[in-house]
Amino acid sequence: MANEWEWELQAEKKWFQYGLVELWRCRGLLQSFVRKELTAGYQQTIMGVFWLVIQPLLTTLFYFLVFSKIVKVSTDGAPPLLFYMSGALLWGYFSDCFTSTMYSFLHNAHIFNKVYFPRLIVPLSMVITHSVRTGIQFILFLIIYVNYWIFDDAVHPSSYIWLMPFMLFFTALLGLGLGMIVAVFMAKYRDLEQLMNFMLRLFMFVTPVVYPASIVPEKYKVLFWCNPLTPVIETFRLGFLHGGSVDSIYIFTGMASSLLVFFIGLTLFKFREIKVMDTI
Amino acid sequence: MSKPVLHIDQISKQYQLGVMGSGALKKDLQTWWNKQVLHKKEAPDPEAYDEANRDYIWALRNLDFKIHEGDSFGIVGNNGSGKSTLLKIISRISLPTSGTIHGRGRIASLLEVGTGFHPELTGRENVLLNGQILGMQKKEVLAKFDEIVDFSGIERFIDTPVKRYSSGMYVRLAFSVAAHLQTDILIIDEVLAVGDVDFQRKCLKKMKSLSSESGKTVIFVSHHMQALRNLCNKAIWLEKGRLVEEGPADTVINKYLSREKVETLSQYYPNPESAPGNEWIRIKQVSINPQFNTQISYIDTRTPLDFEFSFWFMGQYPENTQILIGFYQLTGECIFELCSEVLKVEKGLVEGKCRIPGTFLNNGYYYVSMHFLNREQDTMYEFTASVAFDVVDYRNAKRPYGKWDGAVRPDFPVELSQVSFDAP
Repeated sequence: MANEWEWELQAEKKWFQYGLVELWRCRGLLQSFVRKELTAGYQQTIMGVFWLVIQPLLTTLFYFLVFSKIVKVSTDGAPPLLFYMSGALLWGYFSDCFTSTMYSFLHNAHIFNKVYFPRLIVPLSMVITHSVRTGIQFILFLIIYVNYWIFDDAVHPSSYIWLMPFMLFFTALLGLGLGMIVAVFMAKYRDLEQLMNFMLRLFMFVTPVVYPASIVPEKYKVLFWCNPLTPVIETFRLGFLHGGSVDSIYIFTGMASSLLVFFIGLTLFKFREIKVMDTI
Repeated sequence: MSKPVLHIDQISKQYQLGVMGSGALKKDLQTWWNKQVLHKKEAPDPEAYDEANRDYIWALRNLDFKIHEGDSFGIVGNNGSGKSTLLKIISRISLPTSGTIHGRGRIASLLEVGTGFHPELTGRENVLLNGQILGMQKKEVLAKFDEIVDFSGIERFIDTPVKRYSSGMYVRLAFSVAAHLQTDILIIDEVLAVGDVDFQRKCLKKMKSLSSESGKTVIFVSHHMQALRNLCNKAIWLEKGRLVEEGPADTVINKYLSREKVETLSQYYPNPESAPGNEWIRIKQVSINPQFNTQISYIDTRTPLDFEFSFWFMGQYPENTQILIGFYQLTGECIFELCSEVLKVEKGLVEGKCRIPGTFLNNGYYYVSMHFLNREQDTMYEFTASVAFDVVDYRNAKRPYGKWDGAVRPDFPVELSQVSFDAP
């Protein structure tokens, strides 16, 4: 009899069981989740999807006023508008991925308590949603960029531009990985919610969002470039704005550490995805 | 005998109790260190239940049973007996502390109606989303879409956001999705009591057809015994996480319901101090006195019953008292209620009686509850399940066999006569 069973459930679970086949079977659900996230958020708003482009525009304008006009931080010779916009865009992508996935368990407890589906669907749908949003914002960036390029001749793309898809991908991986790690612990320790929002704000200042990496003093340079987001933003600016420089070793360390964080997050998430519901 | 589709193999579940505080992190780290680094395994033994240890509770203890293909399986038990925990473990929402569940086929659970419904999305979008959350493929939902909408009966509102729905419409749509799930094993927790009576009947019919016609295995948890009796062929009864009874649904449900049966036909208390009651009413005596007029000495459907009672009225002032006597079936449903006249009673002993004629009650188990009302029609005292009795079936040769339907069986004559003869 025993060999006729198709599946088993028990307390002990092996590491590195990612359930990828099951996840693939649920791709339709993932699609529906993404559609829900994308459409439901803008119901009954006057400006609808325009909020997507208004947000980065306002942020850019604000950075421009404060850091370019008041504090007068260098932009490595790049047009300030494009400089701040690239920073805001990439930082926004990372922090959106991170903050939305870290609430995976907390905000979906009512669903997770009532029905089973691969829990990974939730963080993945968040990241895909934010990728779509960032994609739309990126189009806005390109429109402004092309204006500068053709009409002002102020910027020129460099060959680093081809690294961009990878850079964006690894940014998402980093946000997702960190988010999944925090999600698991935050289900039990709510303190993390406060701590993470606070840390995120501080983290922005050690990332070259509103200033170029070139103004960082030599003795902090190695530490500064260990931040996986630093090579991402710098490569982006190098590719589009032709300013600054990136040591290729840091591109690899950035990618490697993002990948590492992602796998730690994935493993932890899969290992605890069901158990965590007893403690929430 | 059909194949087993689920084997609950020595399942136990422990829940951690206690509040989250500054000590929690230290304790968690200690447990983790002991387990992962020192490999000291705390062997959880569900049988060694320590009342003094308030840190954890065993919600399930060494449960072991099988569910077979095509079964409609009921789970009964009091609140806190572990029914919902068991369903959660079977539906993979929660992990057992020890033990294994072996299973076969796709499993879907409906522990709540409308899980994952998003208020901003339209009915159409929600059907698609909800169906997929419950484990269907997109094309399966689309194939069933018309059927789902038709069953719910809200075609006109299908493109309206569900936040504009009435709660009835919401539940109808949500249940319709669940009722059309394509799955081998369906788990349903107390969700049958949805919508209006007509819709409930429709749901019950649908549920019944799921297991009887399409050979699906359905697991139900409900406090609605009549529905369970109707739907299930097998059942288990859980008590404090342990299996008390397993077997045919009727037997298990009857045993579960009769767990608090009053065995005697009468209760008598010699003095008011120790009698049940309160500052107004103290019960002296209640009894059912069968008036046997044949040779038999047990109550059958022909036996007239005299219900007699007496009580001490303890109030300081005279009170206009009225007494309601309710006759209940085992399922808790009231068959009928009798009202006494209003009587002005003073401190002292009061007695009363009434007669239930023979050939009136159907066979079955009944219990009697009494309500004592004051002049404002407020309950002064409620004496539940005061006496209980079993009425045995009696049929003369004319009557057909099989369960005689209905709560009562009055012998109203039915006259039958042929009016004309049509020559062939």
